[in-house]
Amino acid sequence: MICWSCQKQAGAGPLCAACGALQPPDDAADLFAVLGLPARYAVDLAAGEAAYKDLSRQVHPDRYATADPRARRASLARTVQLNQAWRTIKDPVRRAEYLLTRAGIDIGGKQPTPGGDEKRTVEVGAPPAFLMEILELNDELAAAQRKGDTVKVAFMAEEMRARARETMKTIAAALDAGVPAQLHEAARSLVALRYYLRFIEQASGQEAKLEGGSGAG
Amino acid sequence: MAEALFQIAEPGESRAKHACRTRAVGIDLGTTNSLVAIVDAGRPAALADEQGRAMVPSVVHYAGDGRVVVGEDARDRLAADFPRDTIASVKRFMGRGRHDAEATRKLTPYRFASVDGHAASDEGVVRFAVAGERAVTPLEVSAEILRVLRARAEEALGGPLQGAVITVPAYFDDGQRQATRDAGRLAGLEVLRLLNEPTAAALAYGLDKQAEGTFAVFDLGGGTFDVSILKLENGVFEVKSTGGDSALGGDDFDRAVAEALLARAGAAGTTDAHVVRRVLDAARAIKEQLTTETKAAIDVALAPGKTTTLRLTRDEMEALVAPVLQRCAPPLKRAMADAGVERGHLSGVILVGGATRMPLVRRFVEEWFGQKPLADIDPDEVVALGAAIQADMLAGGAGHGDVLLLDVVPLSLGLETMGGVAEKLIHRNTTVPCGAKQTFTTFADKQTGFDLHVVQGERELVAECRSLARFTLKGIPPMPAGMARLEVSFMVDADGILRVSAREETTGQEAAIEVKPSYGLTDDEVEKMILDSFAHAEDDVKARLLAEQRVEADGIVAAARAAMRDSPEMLETGEREEIERALGGVEAARGGSDHHAIRLAIEALDHASKPFATRRMNRALEQGFRGRDVDAVDAKLGGR
Repeated sequence: MICWSCQKQAGAGPLCAACGALQPPDDAADLFAVLGLPARYAVDLAAGEAAYKDLSRQVHPDRYATADPRARRASLARTVQLNQAWRTIKDPVRRAEYLLTRAGIDIGGKQPTPGGDEKRTVEVGAPPAFLMEILELNDELAAAQRKGDTVKVAFMAEEMRARARETMKTIAAALDAGVPAQLHEAARSLVALRYYLRFIEQASGQEAKLEGGSGAG
Repeated sequence: MAEALFQIAEPGESRAKHACRTRAVGIDLGTTNSLVAIVDAGRPAALADEQGRAMVPSVVHYAGDGRVVVGEDARDRLAADFPRDTIASVKRFMGRGRHDAEATRKLTPYRFASVDGHAASDEGVVRFAVAGERAVTPLEVSAEILRVLRARAEEALGGPLQGAVITVPAYFDDGQRQATRDAGRLAGLEVLRLLNEPTAAALAYGLDKQAEGTFAVFDLGGGTFDVSILKLENGVFEVKSTGGDSALGGDDFDRAVAEALLARAGAAGTTDAHVVRRVLDAARAIKEQLTTETKAAIDVALAPGKTTTLRLTRDEMEALVAPVLQRCAPPLKRAMADAGVERGHLSGVILVGGATRMPLVRRFVEEWFGQKPLADIDPDEVVALGAAIQADMLAGGAGHGDVLLLDVVPLSLGLETMGGVAEKLIHRNTTVPCGAKQTFTTFADKQTGFDLHVVQGERELVAECRSLARFTLKGIPPMPAGMARLEVSFMVDADGILRVSAREETTGQEAAIEVKPSYGLTDDEVEKMILDSFAHAEDDVKARLLAEQRVEADGIVAAARAAMRDSPEMLETGEREEIERALGGVEAARGGSDHHAIRLAIEALDHASKPFATRRMNRALEQGFRGRDVDAVDAKLGGR
């Protein structure tokens, strides 16, 4: 990459190795690499957050408010990418989805693959038996909510949360197993997880969040 | 090196004062009052006028002769006589349409203009019909307030500004933000950043108090309610979530009180602009009295020659206001849930905004959060102070260490898809700046254009979200249906403002975008306004300062002459000549067009007449208190 400011080799970092000017990002960069993390499910979130904040301090538009327009554009694009990377990686579900997308497995996510190769994409859907079960559970939940049976609603939500946590563990193990066949297993579990989370949302009236889900380093 | 030596060699503090000061200001453009602040010698401070008042009432009067009056005079004097031509709380109309709730309220003193090109549509910007056959947009009204603040700052800094940070409610949508930024440009300001008000408050508070932990900022102003949950850690101010209601504030309390007072006086549903203005003002005055008192009474002329005394107790007022205040609860609950924070786990709750002075509001906050809120920084000033700090940082001011602000999008942004469903591309509480992409395809052979409708909000259906803009993509190369792949990119910048671009993927051709904002002005309209005002802007500010100084000069000249006429015996030898000379100076300067010169002449007159004025004052006091006992005199003097 040639630096826009000094026309010399800029190097790989955000700042030009020769003159220190902020460089535009590589749009196809891997989001784990943006934060300097290994591309795996078990990430060190504390290290990720520290890297995110350090890099933010370097590239944030607040640092370039009165700079050259080219540096300002680079700052904006860098920060957009950095925010995207941290948002994806800090959330267990989005992190899992991204790891699958990287591996060419599309689970109907709406974010396009950065630099993804469409021909390699494998689509994963939910098996009919699973869908039937979820439909029945939804009906049961709706009936309980109609009757105002808050105890039952809370119980069903809690049961589903336990199921979601178990599924997340399965996904984590499958993603980091290093066996391609297991990735499809992870993808199927992730599709199931989405139904579970939607169910929890409906039961609790709040966005469902999974805590943590990371191992150390 | 030379710089450092020079610094050591310079013993005075003048260098520290000037060299370490950036020329960037922070502006709190409030519903009720506005302020401008700067960082001077490392500390933020609000700039006051010559009478020591930092707050400029956000009230703009348009006179029949084309003059514009902003501030105290407009609020206290002109609003009562010219309710239709004197716009208060304009912030509530920013980025709003003609059919928005605010414009269709029954209890309003304003008259709205219909303008060609917008009249046929439900959409289009609000315009006020004011004296002189003018129709002004909220953006222009706000620009008048900003011009006054800019003039004040330029006066204080002795020259043009580098730029300004203008604060906006965190819950302002894209249209409201754009209108605010354009108002800044129209006022001749380089808008460095739009900063969310709760974030500004947290910045001022966090840096001043060295606070660390998770805080809630409860910001209830004249017209808007915001709540933000922030994590403060090692100089990072990270907004976790934000929520609010951009049409909820002290104004709504006034309105609830005013409606009850009108009903009691048997004048419910009045449409007389004078009565509406007077009753709204009375309601505000009563509300303010009841902050410290338990009952209040105020005389209001409800009909010509008929004065009615309106009375209210604090309990009665609280009963009227409580249902309005309850509207804060759902946004609070959602913001806490979005941040994933339990009520008991907050390090503190920071109060911002004039309405948080009300005892009822403080009780509500304390009960809701289960802890006593913090209000150690003046809730009226804290936002402007935070904005000044941010402005100083953006302009390269030193001494801010590793401060980093990470703010979020308040409301989800999306596109209309088939069946009127809103598809979210960027979710609420995503850290800004941020971006998202979505690919669309053509549905007809040789289709060369594409219509997109951008919406903001949390609801599933487009009809229930806020319409931001409609885009027409043009210049797509003719291809069979489904072949063209249009990649639409959303990008929200650090001001929280959305930019949309589009590209045809197979050919790489950029599609031209034609923007039609739903409730704002197009870029062309704003550009034209700016160009029109450019020629006049400088003159306008100078003309206003000049007019103000002339009025003051007339007043002081008349007073000095009257005093010399009344008490010639108190003049000492030569004093009359000296005062006459100073009077001549004021009159000469008044005839010129330099407001600075008038100011200096007034000061010279003040100086020359001071001994004489003091003697007169002393005698008046002596006469006034003669024959009374000393304690009473002391009490009277102490009380003033």
